[in-house]
Amino acid sequence: MDLEALWLTLRLAATTTMILLLIALPLAWWIAAGRGVARALVQAVVALPLVLPPTVLGFYLLIAMGPLTAPGRLLIQLFGHPLAFSFEGLLIGSVLYSLPFAVQPLVAGFESVDQGYVEAAAGLGASPWRTFFSVVLPMARSSLLTSAVLAFTHTVGEFGVVLMLGGNIPGATRTLSISLYDLVEDSNYAAANRTALALVVFAMAALVLIYLLPGVRRSRGRQADLVR
Amino acid sequence: MSDSLLSLSLQHRVGGLSMDVAFTLTHPWTVLFGPSGSGKTTVLRAIAGFLRPDEASITYGPNHTTLIDTRRHIFVPAHRRPVRSAGQAARLFPHRSVRQNLTYGMVSDAKSGAMPGLVDEIISLFQLEGLQDRRPDGLSGGEQQRISVARAVVAASAYAGPEKPLLLLDEPFTGLDARLRDELLEGLREWLARWEVPVLSVTHALGEAFQLGAEVIRIADGRVVRQGPVAVVLAEERRRLLEQLRSE
Repeated sequence: MDLEALWLTLRLAATTTMILLLIALPLAWWIAAGRGVARALVQAVVALPLVLPPTVLGFYLLIAMGPLTAPGRLLIQLFGHPLAFSFEGLLIGSVLYSLPFAVQPLVAGFESVDQGYVEAAAGLGASPWRTFFSVVLPMARSSLLTSAVLAFTHTVGEFGVVLMLGGNIPGATRTLSISLYDLVEDSNYAAANRTALALVVFAMAALVLIYLLPGVRRSRGRQADLVR
Repeated sequence: MSDSLLSLSLQHRVGGLSMDVAFTLTHPWTVLFGPSGSGKTTVLRAIAGFLRPDEASITYGPNHTTLIDTRRHIFVPAHRRPVRSAGQAARLFPHRSVRQNLTYGMVSDAKSGAMPGLVDEIISLFQLEGLQDRRPDGLSGGEQQRISVARAVVAASAYAGPEKPLLLLDEPFTGLDARLRDELLEGLREWLARWEVPVLSVTHALGEAFQLGAEVIRIADGRVVRQGPVAVVLAEERRRLLEQLRSE
C-alpha cells in the first residue's frame, strides 16, 4: 500500500472532521431550532452533495479557486498560490462534500431532544448557550459521534472531488482512493486489492462502531437512513 | 397596590381556547385552581417566558419590572426573568446525577460554597437521601417528580438577583401518595416562607389548596372566575366533597 497516500488520507480526513464539527454544530442547532423557507433552503444546500455527482462540485470549486473569478484571485493572493491542486484546496472540497454527513445526524439528534428539557434548563436560569452545552449536546452525544465518524469515513472514501480538484500529486493530493485508481490503471491488481481491502475493512469497522452506539438503533433517525 | 408581587394581563388563543386573564399576586403562595384545559399551564408558561402570548403585559416585583409587554414590544427571555419553574413533567437531565440535577440552577459562586448545606437541606426536606448519586433513569415517577420540584426550589433559593424570584410549580405533587404529599407540602411552605420566595402553583387538588391556606385564583375556560382566600373561593367544592364523604 502507498503509505504516503494513507498518511495523507488520514490527515485530510482528520482535519476535515474537525473543521466540519465546528461548522456543523451551530448550523445543525440552527436548522433544528425551527421551520421556514430560510432553513429549508440552507438544508437543501447542505444536502446538495448527496445528490450531485462529485465531479460537479469539484468542477465549480476548481473554477471558484482559479484565477478566473474574484474569490479565486483573492484566495491566490491570500495563500500565495492557487488552492486547486493543493492540500488546502482538497480540504475545502472535502468539507463541502462531507457537510451533509456531519450536519444531518446532528440535526436528527438535536430534534430528538425534547423541547421540555430546554425549557427546564431555562426555567432554572440557564442561558441558551449554557443549555446547549450542558443539556442538549450531552443528550445528543451519540449523534455527535455518528456525525464525526461519518464525516471522517466519507472523506476517506471520496474520489470525484479529489480527482477534479486535487489531481494526483504524491504527498499533497494523492489520497488512497486515487492511489487505488492508479494501481488499477497500471494493472497492479495485487496492490490494488490490498488498498481496496484496507478501505473496506476500515469502512466496515466505522459503521459497526456507529451501530454499536447507544441510541442509534432506538431512534432510527436520518443518520440511519444515510448509512443504509 | 404597593405590595403587589406580580401583575398580569394576558390574551391568547391556544387550541380552541380563547384566553383573557388578568390578576395581581399579593400573597406569598397563590394557587391557580381549575379544570384541565382551562388555561392554567398557559398562564405559567407565559410568566416563565416559554410562550409568546398574542397580547400580554406582565410586571414583577416592587419595582414593577416588565417581563413582557407586547404593546411596547418587550419580551425578556426566560433565563433572564426573576422566575424559577418546575413543569408538569419532571424533565430531569438524564446524564446528570440527582445531586447534579439539584445544583443545576445554582449560580456558580453559590455552588462554590457561599450557601453551604442548601442542597443537603433540600435533599432532606424532599426525603431524597440515598438517591443523590443515582441517575434519573432508574428512579420512580414519584421520585423524579420530587427531584424536579426540589431542583426548582434550590434554584429559587440560590437566586442571585436583587429581588426574590417567583417560583412557578405546575402540579408539583400530583401523583404522590397523600401522606407524603402532605408532609412535603408543609415542609415546602415553611421553607419558602423562611426564604421569602413567593409561589404561584397550579393544582386541581382541593386538599392541596386547603392545606396551604393559600390565596386561590379560580380559572375556567380561559377566564378568572374568582380570586380570594381558599375558604371563600373553594367553599362550594369543599361543601360538595364533604357531602359526598358523609353519604358514603
